[in-house]
This record gives sequence, structure tokens and C-alpha cells, in this order.
Amino acid sequence: MGIVGNTVRSARFRRSRWVLTAILCVYLVYTLIPIFYVVTASTKTNADLFGTFGLWFSDDFHLRENLVDLFTIQDGIFLRWLGNTFFYALTSAIGAAFFALLAGYAFAKYDFAGKRLLFALVLGAVMIPQTALVIPLYLLFSKVGLLNTPLAVILPSLVFPPGVFLMRVYVEEAVSDEIIDAGRVDGAGELHILSGLTFRLLMPGLATVFILAFVAAWNNYFLPLVVMSTSDQFPVTVGLAIWYASATTGSGGNLLFTVVMAGSLVSILPVILAFLIMQRFWQGGLSAGSVKA
Amino acid sequence: MTNQKSNGAGFSRLNRRQLLQSSAVLGAAAAAGGVALPARAEDKVKLTVWAWTPRTQEMADLYMKKKPDVQVVVENVGQGAPHYVKLRNAITAGTGLPDVALIEFNSIPSFRALNALADLSPNLPAGFGDQYMDWTWKAVSDGGKVFGLPWNSGPMALLYHADVLDRHGIAAPETWDDFAEQAQKLAKAAPGTYLANFGVDPGWTAAVLWQAGWRPFRTNGTEIEIRINDGIAKNWANYWQGLIDAKAVDTKPAWTTEWFAALDNGTYASWVTAAWAPILMEQAMKKSFGKWRAAPMPQWQKGGKVASNWGGTVFSAFTTTPNLKAATDFAAFMSADPQAARFWLTEVFLFPVLTELVDDKNLMGHKYDFYGGQPVNEVFAEALSQVDPSFEFAPFQDYVNLQIEDHFAQAIAGHGTLADAFDRIQDAVVAYAGDQGYTVK
Amino acid sequence: MTRFLAGHRPRVIIGKKIAPYVLLLPFVLVFVAFLIVPMIYAFNLSLHKTALVGGTRFVGFDNYARAFVDPNFWSGVWLLVRFGFIQMPIMLSLALAFALILDSGLVYARGLFRIAFFLPYAVPAVIATLMWGYIYGPAYGPLAQIAAFLSLPKPDFFSENAILGSIANITIWEYTGYNMIIYFAALQAIPADLEEASKMDGASAFTYAVRVKLPMIVPMIIVTIMFSIIGTLQLFSEPYLITNLARSVINSHFTPNYYAYTLAFTAQQYNYSAAISFVLGAVVAVFSYAFMLASNRGTR
Repeated sequence: MGIVGNTVRSARFRRSRWVLTAILCVYLVYTLIPIFYVVTASTKTNADLFGTFGLWFSDDFHLRENLVDLFTIQDGIFLRWLGNTFFYALTSAIGAAFFALLAGYAFAKYDFAGKRLLFALVLGAVMIPQTALVIPLYLLFSKVGLLNTPLAVILPSLVFPPGVFLMRVYVEEAVSDEIIDAGRVDGAGELHILSGLTFRLLMPGLATVFILAFVAAWNNYFLPLVVMSTSDQFPVTVGLAIWYASATTGSGGNLLFTVVMAGSLVSILPVILAFLIMQRFWQGGLSAGSVKA
Repeated sequence: MTNQKSNGAGFSRLNRRQLLQSSAVLGAAAAAGGVALPARAEDKVKLTVWAWTPRTQEMADLYMKKKPDVQVVVENVGQGAPHYVKLRNAITAGTGLPDVALIEFNSIPSFRALNALADLSPNLPAGFGDQYMDWTWKAVSDGGKVFGLPWNSGPMALLYHADVLDRHGIAAPETWDDFAEQAQKLAKAAPGTYLANFGVDPGWTAAVLWQAGWRPFRTNGTEIEIRINDGIAKNWANYWQGLIDAKAVDTKPAWTTEWFAALDNGTYASWVTAAWAPILMEQAMKKSFGKWRAAPMPQWQKGGKVASNWGGTVFSAFTTTPNLKAATDFAAFMSADPQAARFWLTEVFLFPVLTELVDDKNLMGHKYDFYGGQPVNEVFAEALSQVDPSFEFAPFQDYVNLQIEDHFAQAIAGHGTLADAFDRIQDAVVAYAGDQGYTVK
Repeated sequence: MTRFLAGHRPRVIIGKKIAPYVLLLPFVLVFVAFLIVPMIYAFNLSLHKTALVGGTRFVGFDNYARAFVDPNFWSGVWLLVRFGFIQMPIMLSLALAFALILDSGLVYARGLFRIAFFLPYAVPAVIATLMWGYIYGPAYGPLAQIAAFLSLPKPDFFSENAILGSIANITIWEYTGYNMIIYFAALQAIPADLEEASKMDGASAFTYAVRVKLPMIVPMIIVTIMFSIIGTLQLFSEPYLITNLARSVINSHFTPNYYAYTLAFTAQQYNYSAAISFVLGAVVAVFSYAFMLASNRGTR
């Protein structure tokens, strides 16, 4: 093997590079087809949606009309749903990431009574089916008058056990004991040490947990479906599902499938953008977090 | 979303001008009753109404013009199953119920079993029920008590695609035997075209079995008779099983986009359905608009005159409402205002429940573009008078519907026959009723 | 690192002993309030029975005894076991292969692939299911259109034999990229000097990836398998949202979570539904534990 020259190796290298790129391109097409379908469907009239080839645009480009419909139907309720989703997801994710940071830091850097048990409980929480929680949450919220308020969706979303797990591993890796000891020698309090840690040090981990919690909250369907009862409180997932059902039965007045499609497109764009903008941070956080996992 | 989209009463075709006209009429009526002073917001009685029908708020606005001291907020919490799930959750939680909600006739016993429906009779004038078609009033009342006010009904007929039947020389079947014969004939003459689709649809199943004489439930307090798999059901099951086995009917899921398209392009040439069906068909079916005709429901006996009802809704108030009087008044307006009801029928295909309107020759002669100018209300009005009022739904109808869905689906997928399915449904429902504390007889 | 001295000092200095408890307090509070308390509430529900006639009474473990022999529950579990055996190997091996390829640097446009493959994770399950539902459409779906154009028989994605594959495809689409990113991050974290060392041996990039790098991320692979097992056994949204399109093959107890849902929300059997959820939790724990045992033995 050692005799094989550089030129041979690079020819083979180049060939396999094209083959592998081609393989990935096949999967890329598969990944993008449903999204592309939504894009083309959003530009069609309802008749063309069922009358023309699904994976290409039709002659009658109707995107503007569909978007106008989308944002004006039922007094523009769709915008309200988008706003709700954004508000629920943002507050949930900020809270969940912050709580996970504190808890993860505590698990990573301290020994205390009950540590193993508590951590096992947090991990075990992943195994609980969501249906098991939604019903009791509904009944409990009804007792304290939180039903149909933003808190009914936000409060349960603050519990994000994977975030605690990830933050623990991340802090173990990224924050050395020396930094903490240096702080202690200087006489700083424990919380002061944490708050003094540089943004740069914690940001990748925090961003990762934030974006995962944000996506989880953005995609949440079942909990808001049960705890919200008026359309002005719905997130976009619940609202679109209701529109989709109305469009199916045709009882929705002006509601058309194409509008539901345009709504789907508009509602996935912000998350995709958030991903793209924040990818530098979260990918860093994941790689640091994965070493020990 | 399951099967209960039955009477998706929609106001899709209602245009603003027409709405204004009727509001002017109502406004005049209100003015005649005395000059109403605008009330301050804090004095207003606030009513929350859950209804899935679009533009119901505009209907409520008409009411508020008449009654300025009442503020009505209409909420759409979903249609069919999601609507009922939300209502039941709120009942279980003890809070969060609206004052008034739209419910279907077949759900009345279920909500009564939960003791959730308020008795409206104290706030209704004597003899209020006389204005309704007999069976609709029977369905909402019990002794002197009234648990909802009927709004629209679903008399059934055979809707057929005139072009397709003409092309193959088929006449609208008068009896179910004709129907079977012509289904086979059409399937043979034009493979891929069917006289009908047999989709899994519990609401429809109960309605067509109602016509056949099936009376599966008799509830008396906490005692219940359950006869789901009786001879009538078995005959009916064998009839459809024969058509399925002969591939004379299709068996695709109902209520999907594809299913609507199949009705539109003539793949399915007919649909035994209710008067409200065009609300749903009109919009999805551009190709076949104007080509549909209505004929009386096929009969089990030649020359028979038995029809059925599928769906239809009532306005009910809940025991938790602090404003029962206002809630009753609002329900009475929505239900019995003849001006509005006339309007919903001609524009929106919501078939009335008021005798005055059903007897109105002019109104019943209204010609619809969707039906190519056929005055179909004559067919539906006759059907409504042929509905046997002795049919009872179960006090846990959603569970029964679930069993029908599951077991019919199995039979359609080729596991056992429809007749077997009825036996399994009977067993499951008997077990459930016992589990819920009923004495099963 | 003397910046801790700079600026103001906090008035209350929290010591090393109580600091972890203070730090844990916010999370533990929400954890208890919105997870433990509802669980206890649900457990209490599962020990009672509410009937339409007769009201609520304490029944001990009756609901559990019933759940253990309920064929509707176990048929759902069995279905998911079969589902998992199709879906998990495909999804995870694709994810792993892509991660290895991307990590090896043997392809063009790495950044594009990485972000594009991850995108479906950002699409809510509601919308993903809606999109695939249209694509599967037997008459007007694009796949049926292509089949018709090529004069092939129209595929039926909602038939009894195909439905598991059709749902598996949706979940593969949704989660392959997510798992890939996790593997990729783990691979990237492997120190670079190993790579240099192996290059000197002349090993091709691929054999290097398989022989050297793959073993190093086995712990991560085990974690993803664990999470996939848990996720699979809790499958609900996709079959629930596609039910209307495939009514004849998706019944009300298609998966255990679906069953728990219909029991609670359609059949009004909240109590029995709670018991089913706990039994499902136990099944998930048993499967996870069995897998842990097996993987420990395998990696030893």
C-alpha cells in the first residue's frame, strides 16, 4: 500500500467523491420533494392542484392570491396563529434552555445528595407517553383556571429533560474545573462564578438546547389541541389542522387546499430560517455534547 | 375528523348583499318592537357559542342587532370529533363549557347521559314545539323538558350523476333490488365506474339502517336494550357484502379529497345522502355542477314510502351557563326565525325543521343550479315526512360509531364479512354498556 | 481568569454546599409541577373507575389487570415491534452512512447536504403528514400521476400491506437528518491527530471511517437506538393524522398511544386510558432495559 503513488490515490479519490456526491444528491431529492410539493401547491388554483402534475408549477401562477387569502381569511386569524406559535415557542425555549443550563451545570460541576436518583428521574421522563400527561394536565389546569391561556402551553414546555442531559455533558466538556476553582480562590460566590462565565463558553450549548426546545415547542400539536379552546389562542399547527379538515369537507367557506398549502409553507419557513441563522452555534454545541454521550 | 362531519352546515354561498337584506328585515322587526338603547359593554350579557359552521358569527351579529344588550361570541373549536372531544373534556373538567353549542341530533342522548344539557323549557313560550316537524321535536324533548332547539335536518334522498346514468342507460333505482342490479350492470359496462362507494361511515350506516327498520337501542333510565346485530342488520350486511364481493361498489374511504373528486368526475355515479350534502359538494365539484339530480331513497319494498334522516343539528345550552334565559333566547332565534331559515335553505341547502317552511309550496319549489334547476326540496320535504321518529341513538353513540368504523374497516379489508362485523360490534357495545353501569337487556 | 474580582460583589454569597440545590430549583420546580404531579394524578385516575351510571369508585389495580390481557393493546405493541424492525435499521443506517460520508470530506457541498438533510426535522409532524398524505394520494398524488404516465399500475400506499411502510417513510423522512447530525457531531469531535496517523498508514478514507471512527461513536449509536425505540413505541401523530385517508387499515387501537387517546377522548374511559399509558410506559422501560443489557453484552 505504501508504494501506491499520490497520483493514483487522487484519481480514485476524485472518482469516489463524485459517486458519493451523487448518492447524497439522490437523498437530497427525496428530502426536498415534499417541501417542493408544498411550494408548487401553494402557487396553484384549487382546480389545478388536482388537475395538473403535482411536482411542477401550472400555467396559472396563483401564489399571490393564495397568500392574500391566507392572511385575510377569518379576519387574518392566520397571522395571529403565527404570532401565538412564535410567542409560545420563544418563551418556552428561552425558559427551558435557561433552566436546563442551571440544572445541567449543577449536575456537571457539583456533588450532592440525591444526584444520581434525580438524574435518573430526569432521563426516565423521556419514556413517559405524551397522552399520559396531557389528560391530567388538562384536568389540573382546569382546576386553577389556566385552560385556554398561553401558560397552559408554555408551562409544560419548560420541562425539557433532553436539554438538561445535553447541558450536563456540554458543561463537563466546555467548562474546566480550573476556571471554577480560580473563581473560588478569588472569593466569588458559586452563582457569581456561573454568571461570570463567558458568553462564548456557554453559547454553543445553550444555543443547541434553545433550538431543540424551540423546534419541539414550534411543532407541538397535541397539548395545545387539548388545552386551547378558542381560535385566537391556537398555534399554527392546530389552526392548520382544523383548516385542513374544513377544506376536506368543503364546509369552510373560502377555505381551499391551496390556502392550507400556502399556510404550511409559510409556517415552516421561520424554523428553517432559524436553523440556518443559528447553525454555527448549535452544531458546535452538539459536537461538544456528543463526546461523552 | 372522523365521520361526524355529516351535517357540516356551511354558509359558503351566502353573500353579503343577501345577508344585509335579511338583516334589514330583522332590524325592522326589532325597531317595531320598540326603540332599543345601546347598552354599555359592562351591562351586556355575554354568550359564548361553539359552532363549526362558518359565518355563524354574522348570523349572531343579526341577533345582536335585535338584542343590543347581548354580546354573542362564536368560536369554532373544530368540526366533528374534535368539537365533541372539546365539549366532553370541558364537561369532565367542570369548567370551560360555552353557553351554547351546536350539536347533532345523534349526540343528544350522549350529552344528556352526562347531565350536561340544560332544560330550556322554562324560558320558552307554551306550545313552542308545535312549529317544528314532529320527529325533530321528539328528538330534543323528553316529557316537558327540552334539551335543544332543532336548527336543520338531514332528510335523505338518492343523489345521482344524471350524465353517467344516461350514458349507460340506467334509470334512478326505485328499490334497493334495482340499485343492486344496476350497480352490477354499470360495473360491467364501464369498469372503474361504480354506481356507489361503500365507505366506512357510521353516521351514514345508522341513517340507512334507520330506513331499513333497524332500532338498535332502547334506553329507559339506566336500562338499555341493545339489538345491533338483529335480522334487519344481518340482511342489510349481506346485501352490501354481496355488492362488495361482486366488485359492484367501490370501498374507498369516504370524505377524502380523492373521494370528492371521484364523485365529481363520475367515478361514483350516485350517493345516498342528506339534503345538506350539496354544501360540501358544491365547492369541491366544479365539473359536475348542475348535473346532479335527486330521487327518493331506494325502497326495501316496492312502492314503499320510507325515508330516513342523516345528521341535522340543534342548538343546546349547558347546565353551567349563568345566562340560561339569554342562551335560550339566542337558540330560539337561531332555530325558529322563519326569515333566516328560509334564507339558509335557498342559499345554503340547510333543510328547515319548521313545519311552516316545509309546507310552503313556493319555498319547496325553489330551483337550484346545482341540481340543474330541479326543485329538489319537494323530494326532501317528502322524505322528511317519511322519517319514522321511533329511532333512538345510544347514550354513548361515539363509542358505537368507533366500533362500527373499526369492524366495518376490517370487513372491507377482507377479514370476515359485514355480518360478522355486526356480531363483534354487538359484543363490544354490550360489554361497554355494562362497564358504564347500564343494565343491559 | 481574574474577571470574577472585577465589578460588584453579590450581596448574598451562595456556598458550594447549597449552590447545586439553588441551581436545580427552577428546573425541579417545573419538573415536579408539570411532570411528577400530573403523573401522580394520572396514577390516581388509573386506580379508579368512572361510569356514566354510578359515578366514580376506587377499583385498585383492576384497570391494570384488564390492560395486561387486552388484545387491542398488545396488537398495537406487536405492530410497533414490526414497525421498528423496518424503520429503525433503515433510518439509522442511512443516518450513519451519510454522517460518515460527510465527515470523511469525500463529497462536494458538505454544508448544503448537512443542512438540507436536517430540514425535515423543522417541519411539524402535522404538516409532514399532510404533505405525504397528498403525495401518496391514490388518484391525484404525484406518484400515482407518474405511475399513470408510465402506464404502470397505480400504487396503493394505504393498503393493508403498504400502510406500515408508508408511515415508516414519513418518520424516516422526518428523523434521518436529525440522527445524522448527532452522528456527524460525534464524528467531528474525534481528535484530528488520529486521522493524521491513519493517513500515514495509507488506509483509504472509507476503511478508515469504518474501522477507526465508527467504533468510537458506538456509545452515541446506542443512545440514538434507545431514543428511537422509545419514540417508536410512542408513535401517535403520524397514524392519527393520516387516519382519514386510510380508514380501512388504521383502527382506533392502531398503536398503544392511539388506543390510549381513543379510550380517553372518544370512549370517555379516562381511568382505563391512564392505566394503558402506564403499562405502555412499563413496556417502553422493559424494551429499553433489554436493549441496554444486550448492547452492554455486545460491546464488552
